[in-house]
Amino acid sequence: MTTALQTRVWAALAEINDPEMPVNLVDLGLIYGIEVVGGMVRLRLTFTAMGCPATDMIMGDIRDRLLAEPGVESVAIEIVWDPPWTSARLTPDGRGALLAWGLSV
Amino acid sequence: MRAREGLSSPPAALGDVILESIRMESSNSVTFETLLKRGELIESRSEMTPDYLRELKHTLIVSGDTELISAPAYYLAARKAPSVNAFMTGIAIIQDELAHAHIAYHILEELGESQEALIFKRDPKAFRYPYAFDVPLESWTELVVANAMYDQAGFCLLGDIHDQCSYGPWKRGLVKVMAEENFHLRNGRNWSKRISQAGGAAREELQRAVDWMFPLTVEWFGLPDDLKQHSAQLEYRLKGLTNDQLRQQWLSTVVPFMESIGIRVPAHRDGDAYVLDYPFPCTFDAPAKRWDFKDPCTWDSVMARWRARGPRNAEMVALFQESFSKFQVRA
Repeated sequence: MTTALQTRVWAALAEINDPEMPVNLVDLGLIYGIEVVGGMVRLRLTFTAMGCPATDMIMGDIRDRLLAEPGVESVAIEIVWDPPWTSARLTPDGRGALLAWGLSV
Repeated sequence: MRAREGLSSPPAALGDVILESIRMESSNSVTFETLLKRGELIESRSEMTPDYLRELKHTLIVSGDTELISAPAYYLAARKAPSVNAFMTGIAIIQDELAHAHIAYHILEELGESQEALIFKRDPKAFRYPYAFDVPLESWTELVVANAMYDQAGFCLLGDIHDQCSYGPWKRGLVKVMAEENFHLRNGRNWSKRISQAGGAAREELQRAVDWMFPLTVEWFGLPDDLKQHSAQLEYRLKGLTNDQLRQQWLSTVVPFMESIGIRVPAHRDGDAYVLDYPFPCTFDAPAKRWDFKDPCTWDSVMARWRARGPRNAEMVALFQESFSKFQVRA
């Protein structure tokens, strides 16, 4: 069951843009799952490539934003590489944003 | 009429007819002046006057050289990265800078210059990038301050060209450049903040880096407007803002940021403008990385320092030139 806090966490993540491209983390398909236990958010996150140069920035942005959300006391990020990210994970909005920016996806 | 900037282009066939008629008129520099004044974009060499072409090339060479030289300058410092992740960010930034250089040199090639000659066959002293890059960046701290201040300068200069430039191919090529420069800026700011928060010796090192790099970036924007009577770049709308306007834009972002992380800078806000707290220009001891705020100097002596280039000029140019002839395949 999705709680109200879980819904707000997803909405908050959709406010965070990738540092290199004009698309948010949810539309980019980087979030593999969220679990909320009390005030703790456990988040499963991937990156578009193992050599991603923006991992620290993305994790920092996630922590900063989620900790600003009322009811969130801590954030635990688990990096996952399986299944690997592909452009198939883009939402239609994400695909549109990257196309508009000039990337072929 | 031609498509004005910001509006969509006419259908292809109509566009061709219009371009053809423009070409026919192009020998007439009065038409060229009219196009410029109307705020329209110049799209090809055939539309340009020789003077415009010369100024455009000069502006592109400065831009390409600046992006290119930032790669060895940043690389020599990125080797001191404190983690693999940080190193990868540094390398990604260097790759961006090389791609940005490529945009400028590629356009120059379309305008009749040889990329190969420009990059691999020029004397190190003939490169036209800001003097700041000639002073060695020797630590991760100095690299991230460069990202926070030098890339901010690049952001102001290229942002202005992106907004205002009358040469269409360059203006459009800068869309991605601006997004990537923003990434460099973030790396600089995130790390500067982190180092300042660490306090102690780390923070002192950060303050020392800002102390010598801040005035170098202030002079990056060139002669003050009251000494620069004429600007062909402005006249041809290759850029839109004056040296002092760009310098003020830079100060208005860098000064508040550095103050917000507890780092001192020799400038303050006075009404709507930022004022420097030291004589501008003054003397700089490059090997010691030290400014003498008690020793004002003339712009002639600054120009002489720039022309002579600084300590790392030859070493950085050699980094990308030295293997070129060795591996050249001859037919």
